[in-house]
Amino acid sequence: MKKSSVFGPGAQITVQALMVVLVLASLLPLYNVVSSSFKSIDEFTVNPLWPPQKVVPDNYQYAAFSASLLQFTVNSIVYVPAAVVFYLAVCISAGYAFGKMRFALRLPLFLLVLFLSIFPQLLLATQVFKLISGLGLTNTGLGAVLSWVAYFAPFGTYIMTTYFAEMPYELVEAARIDGAGPLRILTKIMAPLAKPMTATIAIIGFQAMWNELPFSLLILQTQELRTLTVGIAMMRGEFGLRVPILSAALVIAMVVPLGIFLLFQRYITLGVTAGAVKG
Amino acid sequence: MRHRGLETDGIAPYLFLAPLLVLLVLFILYPVTMNLLASFTEWKGYGPQKWIGLSNYEKMFQDQAFWTSLLNTGIFVLYIPIGTAFTLFVAALMRESIAGWKTYRAILYIPNLLGYVIMGVIFSIYLRDDGILNALIRWVTGAPVHFLIDPVLAVNSIGLILVVWLHLGFGIIYFLAAMNGIEKSIYEAAIIDGANFWKTFTNVTVPSIRFAVEFFVVFNFIEVFARMFSFIYTLTQGGPGYSTFTLEYGIFAQGFQKFQAGYASAWSMVLFVFCAVISTVQIRLMQRRDA
Repeated sequence: MKKSSVFGPGAQITVQALMVVLVLASLLPLYNVVSSSFKSIDEFTVNPLWPPQKVVPDNYQYAAFSASLLQFTVNSIVYVPAAVVFYLAVCISAGYAFGKMRFALRLPLFLLVLFLSIFPQLLLATQVFKLISGLGLTNTGLGAVLSWVAYFAPFGTYIMTTYFAEMPYELVEAARIDGAGPLRILTKIMAPLAKPMTATIAIIGFQAMWNELPFSLLILQTQELRTLTVGIAMMRGEFGLRVPILSAALVIAMVVPLGIFLLFQRYITLGVTAGAVKG
Repeated sequence: MRHRGLETDGIAPYLFLAPLLVLLVLFILYPVTMNLLASFTEWKGYGPQKWIGLSNYEKMFQDQAFWTSLLNTGIFVLYIPIGTAFTLFVAALMRESIAGWKTYRAILYIPNLLGYVIMGVIFSIYLRDDGILNALIRWVTGAPVHFLIDPVLAVNSIGLILVVWLHLGFGIIYFLAAMNGIEKSIYEAAIIDGANFWKTFTNVTVPSIRFAVEFFVVFNFIEVFARMFSFIYTLTQGGPGYSTFTLEYGIFAQGFQKFQAGYASAWSMVLFVFCAVISTVQIRLMQRRDA
């Protein structure tokens, strides 16, 4: 995509300078965390700004083992993908119903799903906690997974609905003439055709649930069950004064989100533009 | 979405929707309804509930923390036009395919990737009096700026960071995609007519992506009213005092720290009204766009 620039040479330099300032402003807090994570407490006190003069790995050892971040990472790596699988099943099946099936309550139910999709988690938290306790699911991964899927599924459903709605109806009709039932049409024909958008909502759902705090905080109360995100949020209070350890913890917590970004950048871009709005 | 005659698919669609609807009823509809009832009771969040009529609401309207929460939300809302204009401007610059724009776009997206919890903790380190930003500021002015200690600065730091800064990368990708849909010939015609960057920005780019701009504004309202808790919890924990409370944070503080879930439910009802309005506006926008 190129054409002659509207900017003259002077303007180009100004624009580049602005971009460099934005990028530096974006990277400075991250540099701060990475650089602090390799400093001893003593060095950090006298040298908060410059890179470490002596690189120490102790903060990582402390964060990973003594502060259990490794355990929390494993917890997240178990719960979140399990939740994503469940989330995909719910969103694909509901999205197909809204996008391609005909039934009397289609519009009112779809509007209800849209309407409910923005309510803040704190608005629901007291009652969700009561419900989870009532079901005997406090301090279980299942309790957290159910609450995440329920909360994030409306937006995923909305995206799948718009995607299915734009697929040609002839696909459904042809399969029906061949004698396929609704479940068969969805699983054998329509869902495989929706793979790109499925990958997109899988990434959106993964990120949303990986970063989720309020429900996990309330449902997973015992230390051994915490997710990485809860662990980081709690460390903020516990290690508020020991910046190098907290920094090491942050670097550990950044590994998975950054890895996902590098691997699936294309789907992330799609995800931003898939729904007109983020859920 | 199409209707072919009056024929329907019978019971199958309801079965396909059942998992979603069951979850929604249990985790959203039922909680919202029970909140309304709980707001008229004295309740710890567990154990018995005692009906006390409108007392929670009377208490709320006399609670300074409640008014501070509303005021703070109002301050954050004021950052929305600033953030939207700034994001549009940066996206429009990138649309001109300036050298390195893809790298800039990727780097600016990082905060969106890491999420509010990690970003909140990162900024809690970054903005400390003995943090790196203040090390730089002290170099220049000799004195630190109390970003998180001064109540007014703390609220405005959150507004600026959350509303203007953290969504920049998301907004750029979103606006660039919308701008991609604008006919190239419109720009060519404008340039032949001698229009400069500002002229095309205000006369062509922004009007052509009006829907995208409106959705971005609504998205920001949702973030401010309904998605900020994790950031405040990790950055300021509502402090100093209750000076960075929002309705969300207040619900957490009353309900889960002071165990006054009945009282917190009254706050929840106020938040519910705001969110219902925002949600309705968003649905209207969608219907208008798809019409």
